Amino acid sequence: MEFSTHVRERQWMTVAGYGLFVALMVAGYYYNITFVQLGLIDLGTRLVGLSETAVSVGMAALALVTLVVAAVTGVTMDRRGWSTNLRTKLRLLFGVVCVQFVLTLVAPMVRTVPTFGAWIVLASIGLGIGFPVSFSLAIDLVPVPDRGYVAAAITAIAYFLANAIPLSWSVDVFSQVLVAAMAPGIVVLAVLSFISFDRLDAILDALGAQRETYGTGRFCHGEPIRARSLAFAVPVVLMFGVFFIDSLGFLRIIDTPSLILSSWQSPDLSTRLGIAVAHVVGAVMAGVIYANYSLSRVFLWTFALFALTHVMYTSDLRIAEVFPTIAGDGTSPLNPALYAIAVSFYTTLNFALWPDLSTSETIGTHSAIGVGVAGWLATFSSTALALYFQAADLTLLSHLNVVQALSLLLLFGLAVGLYARKMVELARENGGASA
Amino acid sequence: MSPTGAIPLLIVVLLMISIGGGDVQEMSVTFQGDTDADSFADVHVVAGGTTTVPGNATVGSDVYVIGGTAAIEGTVDGDVTLLNGNLSVDDGATVTGTLQTYSGSAAISSDASVGRISQFEAPTPSNSPARRIGGFLLQFLVLGAFGWWLVERHPLVAGNVGAAITEHALVSGVVGSLGATTLLVLFVYMAFTLVLLPLAIAGLVAEFLVVLYGQAVFGYLIGTRLPIESDGVATLAGIAALLLVLEILGVVPYLGGIAQLGVAVVGFGAVLNTYFGLQRFEPVTIPGGT
Repeated sequence: MEFSTHVRERQWMTVAGYGLFVALMVAGYYYNITFVQLGLIDLGTRLVGLSETAVSVGMAALALVTLVVAAVTGVTMDRRGWSTNLRTKLRLLFGVVCVQFVLTLVAPMVRTVPTFGAWIVLASIGLGIGFPVSFSLAIDLVPVPDRGYVAAAITAIAYFLANAIPLSWSVDVFSQVLVAAMAPGIVVLAVLSFISFDRLDAILDALGAQRETYGTGRFCHGEPIRARSLAFAVPVVLMFGVFFIDSLGFLRIIDTPSLILSSWQSPDLSTRLGIAVAHVVGAVMAGVIYANYSLSRVFLWTFALFALTHVMYTSDLRIAEVFPTIAGDGTSPLNPALYAIAVSFYTTLNFALWPDLSTSETIGTHSAIGVGVAGWLATFSSTALALYFQAADLTLLSHLNVVQALSLLLLFGLAVGLYARKMVELARENGGASA
Repeated sequence: MSPTGAIPLLIVVLLMISIGGGDVQEMSVTFQGDTDADSFADVHVVAGGTTTVPGNATVGSDVYVIGGTAAIEGTVDGDVTLLNGNLSVDDGATVTGTLQTYSGSAAISSDASVGRISQFEAPTPSNSPARRIGGFLLQFLVLGAFGWWLVERHPLVAGNVGAAITEHALVSGVVGSLGATTLLVLFVYMAFTLVLLPLAIAGLVAEFLVVLYGQAVFGYLIGTRLPIESDGVATLAGIAALLLVLEILGVVPYLGGIAQLGVAVVGFGAVLNTYFGLQRFEPVTIPGGT
C-alpha cells in the first residue's frame, strides 16, 4: 500500500489528498444512501401524501434525470478541460453542495406534489453534476495502486455510519443531521475553491500536479480505454447487473416489515451494529481482492456473494412457505449480514473501477457513463420492474426468486464469458490446437 | 427456533438418516406452536414448539428432537433421538425402537415401555489429561505424517503455500474466509436437496482436509525456523510446536478461538491461492504508483 510509504516519508500533502477524497466521497455517499434513498420515500409518502407507487415513480424520474445531467456534465468536463483542473472541480462541487444544502434544509417543508416534483428535478441536477465531479477527483488525489483500499475505506465508513447510528428513517431527522454535517463542509469547500493565498495555492497546485502520476487508471496503461470499447462496455454492463439485482431485491426487502424490522431497522442496536461491521468486513475484503487480483475475480466474487445471499433469503422463505407457522418469524441475522458484505463488495468496486478505467482526459465521461448507467439507470429500471411486480401482486418469494435467478444467471454468464475468452486467447496464441 | 438457526442440527439429522440407510421418502419438521400428532412423515423433526403424541395415538416414524419439546404419551413405532431440547416419555407410553439421547433434557418414566435406551456420553477431554494428550498425539500423528510426506516428496508445493502464508497473509486470510464461508453455506444448502447430500458430505470433508493442509504448512514454516537440518524432522517439530501453541492459546477465552480461526482461514486461502501449491501466488501488479 502506497499510503504507508507516504506517511513514512512524511508526504503530508499527498496524505491530505487521500483524506480529502475519502471525506468528500463518504459525505456524498452517506447523503445518497440515507437522505436520497430513504428520506425521499418518507417525504413523498408521509409529508406530501403520495402513494408508495407514486413516490417510486418520482425516484425513478430522479434516477433518469440524474443520468442525463451526469452524461452532459461528464462530457462537458472532458471537452472543456475541467477534468484536469482541480480548482474548477472543487468550485463545481462547492456549487453542488450549496444546492444540496438548501434542498436538504427545505425538504421537510415540502407539502405539495408540484413542489415535490420540482425538488426532485433540482436534486437530480445536483446529483448529476456532483458525482462525475467527485469521482474525477480520484485522478488528482488517489494513487492508482491504492484505489481499491481507498474505495474500501469510503464504503466501510459510509455504511458503518449509516447503520450504526440509529437514525429514524424520516426526512426531518435526516434533514437536521445532514444540514449540520454539510455546513462545515461548505465552509471548507468555499475556502478551497475561492480563497487564494500562497500556502493554499501551493497545496492545491501540488495536489493538482499529482495528476501527472495518478491520471492514468490501472486498466489504461498501454492503450487507453475508450467509452465505446468492449473493455469499457463489459464492466458497465456487469455493474448495471449488480446494481439492478441489488436494487430490485432491496426494494422488496425494505417493503417487508418482517425482514426489515429484524435487520436494518431493528430496534436492537446490536443487530444494526452487526450489519455495520459486516459492511466494514465486506469492504476490506473487496479492497484486498481488488488490489491483488484481476478485475474478473472481483466481479466473480461479487456475483457469487449476491447469488448466495439470495439463495439464503429464498430458502428461508421456501421453508416458511412449507411451514407457515414461522412465516412471521423475521429472518436470520446471517442473511442481512451476507447481504451487507455483498453490497460492500460492489460499492467498493464502484468507487475504484471508473477512475481506473479512465485517464485525465476521459474521467468525466467515463465516470458519468459508468455510475450513471450502472448506478442510476439500473435503479430506474429496477424501480420500474418492482412497480410492475407490485401491480401484478407478486409474492415476496416470487419477487426474490426472480432476483435470485438473475444473480445466478449473471454468475453463470460471467464464468462462461471468462472461460470463452480464455479459449479465444489460446486459439489466437497457438493458431489452433497445440500438443 | 428459526429455520436458519435449526440448520446445523437439521444437517446432523440428515447425516444420521443418511448413515442409517433407511428408506426415507418424506420428512416433516415442527418449528413452532403446540401440535398434537396422530401421524407423522417417515421422519419427524421437532425443532421448536411442543409436539405431543397423544395417549391413544400410534405414529409409525422416527422422531428427532433438535429444539422445543416432544411429549410422548402414546406409541412411537420407531426410534426417538434427542439432540437438543426436551423429551418426555410418560407413563404408559411406548417407543418400540431405540431411544437415543445425545444432549438436551430427557424425562423417561419408569412405567414407559422403551425398546432400548442409549445415552451418548460426550467425551470430556478437559476432565481427563490422558485423553487430552491422546487426542493431541493423534492430531500430531495425522498432521505430522502428512507434513513429513509433503515436505520430503513435494518441497516446492509446501514452499509455494508457505510463501503465500508469509508474504500474502492478508490476501490469504480474505480469500480463505470468503472461500470457506461460501463453500460451507453452499454445502449446507446442497445437503438440503437430499439428492446432493453425498456431494455435500464429500465437500465438507474436503474443506476440512484443506484446513489440515494449511495447518501442516504452518508447521513446515515454523520448522524452517528451527535449528534442525532435516526438513522432514523440522516440519514434524514445527507441527508439534504449532499444535502446542494452539492448545495453550485455546485456554485463553476468545484469543484461542481467534488464533485457531486465523490459522485455519489463512492456511485455507493460501492453499486455494496457490492451486494447492502447484503455482506460486503472485498478486497483480498495478501500474501508476509513485
